[in-house]
Amino acid sequence: MVLIINTTSDTDVTAKIGSSLKEKGRPFEIIEASTLKISHCIGCNYCWLKTPGECSIKDDYEQILKKIIKADQMWVISDTALGFIDHKGKNIYDRIIPIATMNLKFKNGQMRHYLRYDHKTDIGLICNGEADMDQLRKWNERAALNFDSKSLGVYGTDRIEEVTACMC
Amino acid sequence: MHVLIINGSPRVKKFSNTDKILDKFCEGLSEKGNSYLRYEISDRRQWETIRQAWDESNNILIALPLYVECIPGLLLEFLETVTPHKDDADISFILQSGFAEGCQLRCGEEYLKLMSKHLGCRYKGTLVKGDNFSIRFFEDEKRDRITTPYKRMGQIYGEEASFDSEECKAFTGPEVFPAYVRVLVGLMFKTVARKSFEKISKEWGCTKPLDYRPYGT
Repeated sequence: MVLIINTTSDTDVTAKIGSSLKEKGRPFEIIEASTLKISHCIGCNYCWLKTPGECSIKDDYEQILKKIIKADQMWVISDTALGFIDHKGKNIYDRIIPIATMNLKFKNGQMRHYLRYDHKTDIGLICNGEADMDQLRKWNERAALNFDSKSLGVYGTDRIEEVTACMC
Repeated sequence: MHVLIINGSPRVKKFSNTDKILDKFCEGLSEKGNSYLRYEISDRRQWETIRQAWDESNNILIALPLYVECIPGLLLEFLETVTPHKDDADISFILQSGFAEGCQLRCGEEYLKLMSKHLGCRYKGTLVKGDNFSIRFFEDEKRDRITTPYKRMGQIYGEEASFDSEECKAFTGPEVFPAYVRVLVGLMFKTVARKSFEKISKEWGCTKPLDYRPYGT
């Protein structure tokens, strides 16, 4: 299943993606997150040490997390700021931490956390606005390490057809 | 030099590793005759005051933990609200993380350099250092063993107003651990570290295993 999380208020983008995926017969779900209550990560470490796997912040992110751990692909649509994704987009990434456990290992020569679940979710990013795209591509690749998965790439909203071709 | 210091950690001050790092760093900074104002973005009530200080400062230092390979969402939210300078302010960063190797922080460091331009500031370097996860769990001498080296970094920054010196660059430590160290540390992860995390977990009132799956598979 392809999970698309739209943190922008532009629903035309998700409408385009939805109709394209429907046409292709690919299973997907779109979450319009701009209308949801999603806090930033407060770094309390409860999801690792006090309530393993559960975030201490009880807001709308919990329903998203439950879907992420079952999705084959997660695509975040984000506005941009300061050459990067904006804080709403970044909060979606920051709040994934419960999918990792506290326990550590070395993977490809670097420290990493063991994942809590067996299923792996590849991640892609769609940017609405100007940004340092090369940096974002590098960053999304690094971010995918937290899912023990791979980056599906970073695209602008002007390349939706190309993006939907990657959604499977 | 007068410095605006912003603790960019979303964690409350009492438990903030970045805060404890800044305590030592500021000791060194003061020893070299500098003054500073220090704020925490985790306290939203301070945001308006920090914005005013931002407008009036020409030496800015932001200390932050690495969150998913870059800056925390809350710090990003705050910085989206400041008025960019007009190339009339210097900005430096302390980027710290739990992961110990320098290579883990480089992508975040690259972004901080780019972000400085978007903030209209002259980039004066980033002090990069990992292996700070346990600061919040330690007190007194144990904590000091981790944080005291930052005092020297504060002295250097106080004299040079940047982190460009070789000593600051070397402060990061190894970019990756040699294979034999990875074997030893990997063994520690499976034994001592695991037990230590389980102990903390129990002290925090946890009754479930650390790899518990609340949402099924």
